Amino acid sequence: MRLARPVAVLDTSCVIALDALDLMPALAMLFSRVLIPKGVRTELFRRRRTKDRLVALLAEFAFLERCDDYDRAAVDVLLVERARRGNKDRGEAEAVVQAAQEGAMVVIDDPGGRELAERHALDCHGVLWVLRSLCGLELLSAPDLRRAVLELKKLGIRLPVEQVSDLLRQVGESPV
Amino acid sequence: MNVYIAYGTAADQVTALRLQALAAVNGLTVYVPPAHTRRSSEGTEAPLQSESKLIESDVVLGVVTVGVSDTCWRELNAGKRLGKTMVVMTPPTLMTQLESHFPGCIVVIDEADPGRSELELVRFLKKADMQQQSKKAVMALSTIALGLLLLSAHE
Repeated sequence: MRLARPVAVLDTSCVIALDALDLMPALAMLFSRVLIPKGVRTELFRRRRTKDRLVALLAEFAFLERCDDYDRAAVDVLLVERARRGNKDRGEAEAVVQAAQEGAMVVIDDPGGRELAERHALDCHGVLWVLRSLCGLELLSAPDLRRAVLELKKLGIRLPVEQVSDLLRQVGESPV
Repeated sequence: MNVYIAYGTAADQVTALRLQALAAVNGLTVYVPPAHTRRSSEGTEAPLQSESKLIESDVVLGVVTVGVSDTCWRELNAGKRLGKTMVVMTPPTLMTQLESHFPGCIVVIDEADPGRSELELVRFLKKADMQQQSKKAVMALSTIALGLLLLSAHE
């Protein structure tokens, strides 16, 4: 039986989505530590609102940690490779490299980032997995789950439609 | 019922947040002070940032595993001064230090001996001068806290 909760590395879009749903504190139920890589922080610092939120979250929750100690060369190699395909997202590359280094789970929604994580054989999940896990722990009710999905849709945060509908049906809610 | 969690150091906040999440679904309102209150070196004379939450609370639950920050001391002292129902959960290593300041409020959590911890909790609740309803809520909360603290020792 595993007693220790895993460590997770979050990508930019997941920080935005989970904060919008006010679910950051609930991550303490799923993880022992949640790491925010420098590349992700840089992306969030580009906008005043997300910068202010990140600063507040890091001050409020001790389990959220800045994570700067990573293999920069590995990130650069990934970025060169990804730039050839037109993707220059440093946050995703850092999230994957840091998760590999820490033996952590990576929480990432972008399909490109997920593909990268899977190529590194990482335990990789998205916001929908977080919602499903919180439902499983009965910390999020079925109506709250539906509200969360609708809220993300309203904010323009995309989730896989079929998987969202499946999850809603599983908890007895109608698909959106 | 409103509960204020005075956690020892920033390292204890994760246990406090888990307790908050589990208590919230059971109808309890739990306040967990932000982590920066355990990191900053604010003067000991400065008012507590969350004093109003302490005043509103019915119970002050101390969750102390590795040490007691200045802010945590001040919160526990304020809880005592305000006459709140107090439960301070701590390992044997910190028991003596805390017992002398908060006599009768200490529940020793010994990860090497969970049975002793359970007995301590039962003994505490038997002695506690509380209304039946509050006693039930404190028992539920303390039992969850006991489980979380024993599990967190493995993280």
